[in-house]
Amino acid sequence: MHTEAAAQGRLAHHFPDMKTQEHAARMGMWLFLSTEILLFAVLFTAYALYRFLFPLGFEEASKLAHVAMGATNTVVLITSSLTVALAIHHARKGENRKVVGLLAITIGFGALFMVLKGFEYYHHWQDGQLPGRFFHYAGVTGPGVSMYFTVYFLMTGLHGLHVLIGMGLLTWVAVRAARGHFGPGYSTPVELSGLYWHLIDLIWIFLFPLLYLV
Amino acid sequence: MTATTHSEGKHLGPTQYVLVWVALMVLTGVTLAVWKTHLSYSARVVLALSIATVKAALVAIFFMHLWEEKGVARLVLVVSAVMVTLLIGLTLADNATRYPFANPPYSESWMDAPHRKDAPPMQTEPGPVRTSPATKSEHPGGH
Repeated sequence: MHTEAAAQGRLAHHFPDMKTQEHAARMGMWLFLSTEILLFAVLFTAYALYRFLFPLGFEEASKLAHVAMGATNTVVLITSSLTVALAIHHARKGENRKVVGLLAITIGFGALFMVLKGFEYYHHWQDGQLPGRFFHYAGVTGPGVSMYFTVYFLMTGLHGLHVLIGMGLLTWVAVRAARGHFGPGYSTPVELSGLYWHLIDLIWIFLFPLLYLV
Repeated sequence: MTATTHSEGKHLGPTQYVLVWVALMVLTGVTLAVWKTHLSYSARVVLALSIATVKAALVAIFFMHLWEEKGVARLVLVVSAVMVTLLIGLTLADNATRYPFANPPYSESWMDAPHRKDAPPMQTEPGPVRTSPATKSEHPGGH
């Protein structure tokens, strides 16, 4: 099967075989994900710092978060991670039709996540719970309250952008699966886009308790 | 070492994935349930973050295939986690040990600093002013 993949021109000349090539690809993806983690880490640090400086403001402001929608989104993202993991499993077996189906479900979950997120943003917008000088909510005021919303919109905004990019990636992978590209010798694009999607889930796993509960 | 395309023979399958998903769902439920209990605030925060860490580990090890990964790729996530901890930890350690007026106005340590009304940041006695709750309510009038 390696020779088959190599025959299709997928093996770069500087790799001895497909296995080594795929390992290098995964390694590269992990390194890219580490830069993504550090990108989000800066925002997590901002969160931790402002929370430390304005504990009361953050505690009161986080009570304004829509916990039910946040919790639903957690369930949605975790389930979408499962469907991606299953898609990778079937891609390795060459069951491309199942891959297309599972990826379609995943993209659907991603869309659902964004719709719920949109409703949350809309409510915060309506209530004037916005960053900095745009904050005009009368219910809770005090030092740090608008800072919570700055951090909230930055973190969920960057995360939402990643969800959109992930949906785009998975769409591309699903199109390739529909053309029957994947099999036992070659499933790297499914694996790597899957890793990206799981990272999005992983970051949300921390965002949810930090922004909605704590 | 029956080498298929993906390294070792410790391949994960749909059964494991579904089990991990169930575990993640249960842990999400536990996070929400714990939050509604009457445990102390800090205990609930520690619990919520511990559960999040366990969930993240489950996702990384099983969904992200660190279980079947080999070599240095497994190290990348661990190193990232260490770096994130350092970044957050050192930043907080900095602000927690600062002279109170070096923190932003109206932040907690700024508010707790003694004589904050009377002593502008620049003209106080040398050395750090100790933050103590006892002095919080003292606002000696006049200048």
